[in-house]
Amino acid sequence: MRTRLCFLVPPVHKIFYVQRASFIMKRKAVNASPRKQPSKVPKSSICSYLSLQQKEEHSLSDIVKPAKENVNQNANMTQQTSQEDSETSSSTSEHSSSLVENPNPVCEEKLVECTFTNVTWQGNSRAPFRFLADAFETMEATTSRLALIKILTQVFRKIVNTTPDDLLPCVYLCTNTLGPAHEGLEFKAGEATVLNALSSATGNSVKVLKERLTKLGDIGDLAAECRTTQQTMFKPPSLTIHGVYQEFRTMANLAGKLSTKEREKHLQKLLVSASSKEAKYIARIVLGKLRIHIAYKTVIVALATVFAPCPKSDAKTTDGMDVILKEAAATLNAVYSQLPVWDRIIPVLIQNKSTEGLEEQCRLTPGVPVGPMLAKPVKEASDVLERFQECSFVCEYKYDGMRAQIHYLTDGNVKIFSRNAEDDTPKYPDIVESIKFALSKNNTVTSFIIDSEVVAYDPETNAMKSFQELQGRARKEVKIEDIKVPVCIFAFDILFLNGESLLKWSLKDRREKLFDTFSTIQGKFQFTTSKVFTDWEGVDEMMDEAIKAGCEGLMIKALTGEYSSYEPCNRSQNWLKMKKDYMNSIGDSLDLVPIGAYYGRGKRSGVFGAFLLACYNSETEEFQTVCKLGTGFSDEFLSSITKFYKDGHILAEPKPYYGVSDTPAIRPDVWFEPCQVWETRCADLTMSPSHTAAKGMLSEEDKGVALRFPRFIRIREDKPVDDATTADQIVELYCNQKSKM
Amino acid sequence: MVSKEEQNSSSSFQFEARLTQASLIKKILEAIKDLVTDANFDCSAEGLSLQAMDSSHVSLVSMVLHAQGFEMFQCQRAVSLGINLASLTKILKCAGNDDSITLRADEKGDKAEFVFESQSQDRLSEFELKLMDIDSEHLGIPDTKYSAVVEMPSSEYRRICSDLGLMGDTVRISVSKESVKFQVDGDIGKGSVCLHPSSVVDKPTEVVKISLEEPVDMIFSIRYLNNFAKAAPLSDTVTLSLSKDFPLQVEFKFGEQMGYLRYYLAPKID
Repeated sequence: MRTRLCFLVPPVHKIFYVQRASFIMKRKAVNASPRKQPSKVPKSSICSYLSLQQKEEHSLSDIVKPAKENVNQNANMTQQTSQEDSETSSSTSEHSSSLVENPNPVCEEKLVECTFTNVTWQGNSRAPFRFLADAFETMEATTSRLALIKILTQVFRKIVNTTPDDLLPCVYLCTNTLGPAHEGLEFKAGEATVLNALSSATGNSVKVLKERLTKLGDIGDLAAECRTTQQTMFKPPSLTIHGVYQEFRTMANLAGKLSTKEREKHLQKLLVSASSKEAKYIARIVLGKLRIHIAYKTVIVALATVFAPCPKSDAKTTDGMDVILKEAAATLNAVYSQLPVWDRIIPVLIQNKSTEGLEEQCRLTPGVPVGPMLAKPVKEASDVLERFQECSFVCEYKYDGMRAQIHYLTDGNVKIFSRNAEDDTPKYPDIVESIKFALSKNNTVTSFIIDSEVVAYDPETNAMKSFQELQGRARKEVKIEDIKVPVCIFAFDILFLNGESLLKWSLKDRREKLFDTFSTIQGKFQFTTSKVFTDWEGVDEMMDEAIKAGCEGLMIKALTGEYSSYEPCNRSQNWLKMKKDYMNSIGDSLDLVPIGAYYGRGKRSGVFGAFLLACYNSETEEFQTVCKLGTGFSDEFLSSITKFYKDGHILAEPKPYYGVSDTPAIRPDVWFEPCQVWETRCADLTMSPSHTAAKGMLSEEDKGVALRFPRFIRIREDKPVDDATTADQIVELYCNQKSKM
Repeated sequence: MVSKEEQNSSSSFQFEARLTQASLIKKILEAIKDLVTDANFDCSAEGLSLQAMDSSHVSLVSMVLHAQGFEMFQCQRAVSLGINLASLTKILKCAGNDDSITLRADEKGDKAEFVFESQSQDRLSEFELKLMDIDSEHLGIPDTKYSAVVEMPSSEYRRICSDLGLMGDTVRISVSKESVKFQVDGDIGKGSVCLHPSSVVDKPTEVVKISLEEPVDMIFSIRYLNNFAKAAPLSDTVTLSLSKDFPLQVEFKFGEQMGYLRYYLAPKID
């Protein structure tokens, strides 16, 4: 027999399923007896015990019955599939008016049908994961936002009505997260782990799975397709939403040298119990690629629809309902942006059965980072003036550092959170010290949250250093005495002080509060350099000064009025940023040669997803790699370019004159003939050990130059490959950039 | 030392059993610990039994030690001892092969006690193992009339599995009246081992016997068969029972009246 993948053929499976059922054996009645002091907590809260006395002989009917049930189940499943199919096709057309139906289950008490599935369950059990997988599948098939919201609303409503405790895990699974961002809980499982688990769960060899994955491009599709060549002894209990979520959390919490193996086992257990559809989404969730077209915003709208307050009888018109829903979504959004922790919000929602009263119970809390307020880029003075007509605005230096949200808790702890809500406190023990100094003259402060930029700083010359220097700092368990790159905090906003949220205050008032509360320490804790303007005069000069001082540009913010409040995680028009490179002062494009490519994943499966680009070193006559390029392409371009290279421009081996480092991540899946030149832009140039461009021509002998954030512009049909940007030019660009710092 | 009778009368334990040779338990554990991580040891008046499935639900282990196989056995009420097999292995490492082993569990059922006593009775070691709650379902295994039953030396079984395991992932087992054939097809090539029923019966432990209702031809994962081979030290012979579309049963008997260790393995789809 040859080893080959036997992808599941449904009828065969069904037949076996029935036969298998006849082999197995009745599950025995279970006698629950809780036991004290379990040394290990079991996965399910109900512990079951068996006593041998309960063993009974198997009568024929016992054995036949489960088989019959299974036949029914199979019939159900078929029915379900066909129903689903019709649903998927019709959902796009009928959703338009659907948002306003039945806003609150609690006051309407109407049992809502789920249009995407016929999976149901009772309040005394847990919500099946099958239910969510059905929802995900329907959502994957549509991109209409209204349709997505409709499905998600049905999901949440059904869960709230049946088993409200399952809502929290459900929301986390839908957002492909394991908990609030600042907990930093990650899946930590790579493709290899999933493949290994899939292999042991299905009996297919990893090698076969890998080959198949290259063709399919998506590990979820692989998991769904390769259900099994290996029969199981009996069907494991079906997965629940809560169970899957808990299993994921257990996996994420595993640490230590054997944790990868352990994680594999947990995942294998999930996959064994999963149907093909469930397996698909489990594999995807683990790799963080759920791809059901929703972000937390959609979740908020759907939750708001479920928990919208009951309309007063006179407002029961479509318009009235619309307003209520919008308000509920706005409330929930505001609450979530101030306290982005579903564990705190959802219990309150369930208890209140409404979004009313949520704002009072879930507030900005020191210790829980909020998304930082973001700025819109602008290019010209006119853009700014248009925005800030008739109101004064403040310009601040835009430092080239890392955003840091610094929290001071009532127990005296200082927490530092990155832009992505990661807890950076262990990385910056020096900041914790600086904060305590900055507060030393003010003993009325019990708690605060400030927004700031952390910049590498040379205390001897009082000069700011580049972002790259800051990146070079150690990340874990940093000790104050080992710090090699000193940093300075540049504070620019205050969100919370002594138990009071200042988010709604005007920037003017917040700045005053900030200046009053803290004292500056040169080189440790400073306020951003800023100036208040009423018109454009002087702004250009300030821009030049900022760039001279080593900053990226300016931040421009309204000082008073409705646009001056702090809006967490919102990229609004209220803050504007002006950077030197937006102003096109630098940014020569480079003409580079693609010498290899990587197979695309997900949306780009079937075509190349990224390319390896090289410059030309005229001295060594080598093509030296300078970046991996994956942005700036249209889908049409990718398919045509994939076709072009696959038609005889692919090499079995790299050319001897390709200078490629040994870094495995750089190795392309296929090598190209050097036959095109692509114009590419980038943010800046940096030294990299993985690329070989201009290697040996700069101070760091063993590193090459690499592009940061490269972007494809167009194909240079007019240029032959040896006319590409040369290593010398790259050296020049790199040195120019350095002198501008 | 307390005599056996005194122990019996004064026992406050729900369950107490003594086995003369710790090696039996040690071997059993070796044979199942790679397949199963946690398992419930069910103690009843009839004996000690264990049933567990591997995490993939592909194979099932069923072990029975009859009460009469113990030197002493008493069970006032059926209890289930949830044991992590890796922990049990650690404790059993402390027992010599010829030590006697006493297992006890009390009313509360949160721990199990192990007492190892050397043959010369001059060394006594006692251990307590914390028990855990294991969520498991008990499966009744119906007595099946298998189409083909093959008895062979367990050393031969072990050798075939490990040899063929080097070549591929799956093995095709075909049983006919004349022979049982194990075939493998791998990346590097293919191979097969064919055993014929022995004509001369001088050494009963080296006999190959086939009893056949109808010929069988099925595919199994070698990895699991190899795992089962770890039970070879428990018995000189092994019995493979096959029926089309039914799990394979691989049985190792612990001698007369003692009990057995059975593995079940679901077939692969061709």
